[in-house]
Amino acid sequence: MSGSSGMSGDRPIVVADRPSPGRPRPYVFPPFRRTRLDNGLSVLSVHLPGRLLVEASLIIVGGASDEAPERAGATVLMARALTEGTEHYSAIELVEATERLGASLHAEAGWDAVSVSADVPVEHLAATLDLMAEVIARPTFPAGEVERLRDERLNDLLQARADPRRRAEEAFIETIYASESPYRRPAGGIRETVELLDASPARAELARRFDPARMTLVVGGDLTGLDVDALAEARFGGWRADPAALPPATADASAATSERRIRIIHRPGAVQTEIRVGHPGLPRRIPDFHAVAVMSAILGGLFNSRLNRKLREEKGYTYGASAGFDLRRAAGPFAARAAVNTEVTVPALLDMMTELEAIRSASVDESELRAARDYLVGVFPLRFETPGAVVGALTGLVAQDLPDDELARYRPSIEAVTADDALAAAQAHVRPDEAAIVLVGDADAFLAALESAGLGPVTVDREAAISMEALDVAAD
Amino acid sequence: MRVPTIEFTDERLANGLRLIIAEDHLAPVAAVNLWYAVGSKHEVAGKTGFAHLFEHVMFQGSAHVSKAEHMSLIQAAGGTMNGTTWLERTNYYETMPAHQLELALWLEADRMGTLLEALSQENLDNQREVVKNEKRWSYDNRPYGSWVERLLAGIFPPEHPYHHPTIGSMEDLDAASLEDVRAFFRMHYAPNNVVLSVVGDVDPEQVRGWVEHYFGGIPANPDLPVVLGDLTLAPTLGGERRETVTDQVPLPRIYWGFRAPVFGDERLDALDLAGHILAGGKGSRLHRRLVREERLAQDVSFFSLGLIAGASIAAGWATARPGVDLERLESVYWEELQRIATELPSADELDRAKALTQADELGALQRVEERADRLSMFATLFDDPGLVNRMLPRYLAVTAEQIRDVCAAVFRLDNRFVLTYLPAEQGAGDAETAA
Repeated sequence: MSGSSGMSGDRPIVVADRPSPGRPRPYVFPPFRRTRLDNGLSVLSVHLPGRLLVEASLIIVGGASDEAPERAGATVLMARALTEGTEHYSAIELVEATERLGASLHAEAGWDAVSVSADVPVEHLAATLDLMAEVIARPTFPAGEVERLRDERLNDLLQARADPRRRAEEAFIETIYASESPYRRPAGGIRETVELLDASPARAELARRFDPARMTLVVGGDLTGLDVDALAEARFGGWRADPAALPPATADASAATSERRIRIIHRPGAVQTEIRVGHPGLPRRIPDFHAVAVMSAILGGLFNSRLNRKLREEKGYTYGASAGFDLRRAAGPFAARAAVNTEVTVPALLDMMTELEAIRSASVDESELRAARDYLVGVFPLRFETPGAVVGALTGLVAQDLPDDELARYRPSIEAVTADDALAAAQAHVRPDEAAIVLVGDADAFLAALESAGLGPVTVDREAAISMEALDVAAD
Repeated sequence: MRVPTIEFTDERLANGLRLIIAEDHLAPVAAVNLWYAVGSKHEVAGKTGFAHLFEHVMFQGSAHVSKAEHMSLIQAAGGTMNGTTWLERTNYYETMPAHQLELALWLEADRMGTLLEALSQENLDNQREVVKNEKRWSYDNRPYGSWVERLLAGIFPPEHPYHHPTIGSMEDLDAASLEDVRAFFRMHYAPNNVVLSVVGDVDPEQVRGWVEHYFGGIPANPDLPVVLGDLTLAPTLGGERRETVTDQVPLPRIYWGFRAPVFGDERLDALDLAGHILAGGKGSRLHRRLVREERLAQDVSFFSLGLIAGASIAAGWATARPGVDLERLESVYWEELQRIATELPSADELDRAKALTQADELGALQRVEERADRLSMFATLFDDPGLVNRMLPRYLAVTAEQIRDVCAAVFRLDNRFVLTYLPAEQGAGDAETAA
């Protein structure tokens, strides 16, 4: 190490030479124990010394992508309703009992799983598991509360129409997926289907998933002196599959079309345009997962990814540009995203298209490859500092039917990705020629320039135009 | 419940840099956190948004680091980083694999010592555009996006530095010059205006050596600290204030704002617990009554924002369900504020609020990044990093009477600012949004 230091008049003396890293501390993803109760329910426990706020999560594989299209939203509604009343507790009694334990209890459904989770000081783990068992096995779905949750979802959908980000996401998935695909709608459903929901479809969605063989309890934290298997057996060991239970279905993720096209959602006077470019992407279980991770970090994941470097750090068009795959049990969307000031909409879009072409037309630089691999490998331990994060990673394994050594294999597999692997992944999975381009912004400001750019046929939704002009402020 | 005590050391370099080190060997991770005692409250008229714009410039390179290379180096080392600007301060932080800690210290020292050597008009112009897009994205192109600006303007008088938000105005951002950047750097970015906290899987002797090596040669600014003059305020607004905004929002929303005791005052601890009782979850009073029972609101909120100069803010909102009578929504919300200001909360309510506060504290302090940020915060704002261990006991000692008394002092008619958002004229086909 050279360079100098020490006070010397007013001139700052700094050290010119970059330090080199020390010796890496050994790291392994925390080893976990897997057991299975006689009724088929799996138990994963992971001891994390010193972590006194423990996380427990009971997940049922199979989420919103399982439901019939005409009941879109029923699974999410069911999950929210689990904590609205049970055989032994009203909703308020349940929340009060939870709070007395210092616990927070959440039930939710995503595309791939339904889960009930809590974080709780370790001394109250057993009592919290009692409450988790209660909400999963004995919910009553009170009609009035389910209707209130349904109305809240309908109001939330109204709010989403006015929010340019949410409007862009909704228009994007609606544009890229075929009408048969559940991924065409948000997991929480759309107005036309949510309006028809009540307690009965919610109850049915739970019944068809209620099979202990589809369930896994994951517990992480300082488990000193605790027998998690016995705790699980006492609460969940007596459960039997509902006669209505079915295995999880595979979602249809087909594309609406393979033609490039542009859809504008017109918002007069909008100061920014929300841009989405993409198409149906990939499921999580793919052989080239690690190559895809490295390639998408280079394209749109790192701070100095190609998209962010170009659109933000070179051009100043945006606060941030990114791209990535939403990996689900079936092929979730691939999207590149940016919100840009209205005047630069077309040049920004052209830059995005250029980068989507470039990533698949030539090998990435050795320096980009190294930066992406080093980041993904190096940041891995940082991602798993807390029990919540460790348990979240394990429930992810379960929801995607991945093998137990998937997380332990992650770092060596990322290290092994080559420039050729990244190029092959881009060529196979990034397809700008088949992309939908969705723009939420002031069409009148950029439509002519967009049409002459020749990126594809353009349609404009001039829906329920609401003036965004100067706010009318009345003070009294 | 056991909440571990955070052991730390607290010392100063000869140039005034305050160094706080806390060891924790649970995970092979180290957090670096710098609080510079400069925020938007140090901005003057015509230069709003400058502290935040400057924060962006701090990532544009220094003598030995090229533009945006700070991020590349941190990410390639497997770390994460960011910077944020607030009314009171600007912070910069990195969370690193422990064996890469020295790199983060070197990077922070290089920009503290030599930022101006790399400063260019091109980089300033680029980040000005980025920040303007940040303002559009976070405020201007977002439903209800102007509420923070309106709340600050409603609670603090124009001459008070909390009157304007950190993002500033487009006009002022456009006017920022290279000379402004240079002057701002020379005044505020000096070691004697910084608290540096290092937390995690570290060897304190080694950290001290590195910090001396990298930061020790950066001279202090003898003109610091900046004294802002008398920022005290009357404890209340002195009269009700109301504002109504018509915006492109589908549902009306009512925001509330109040002046509240300053951060550090124990009465604010009691008000924080009142926030839990009022809106801390599905069992809270406002949620129970407005969302669940009377079904007037889609969602509710109540919280306090602790500030050290003049007054803190107590604030909340309720989003109306479609078709709801807004006067009714406002009066029921107000009734609940009056109830907690006149009647003692039950022992069970208070116990639940404390149990949740304790679990929240345990959860937050699990992460080295949060611990480092709090050590820097308490050292910067109160010259007392030990508050990191004493806040929880303070919360647990709050009584029902203290909650009632602070609510009575804050939730007064002559201290309330009521900001109502109404949907703009609706287009055909969206009739169900009419309020």
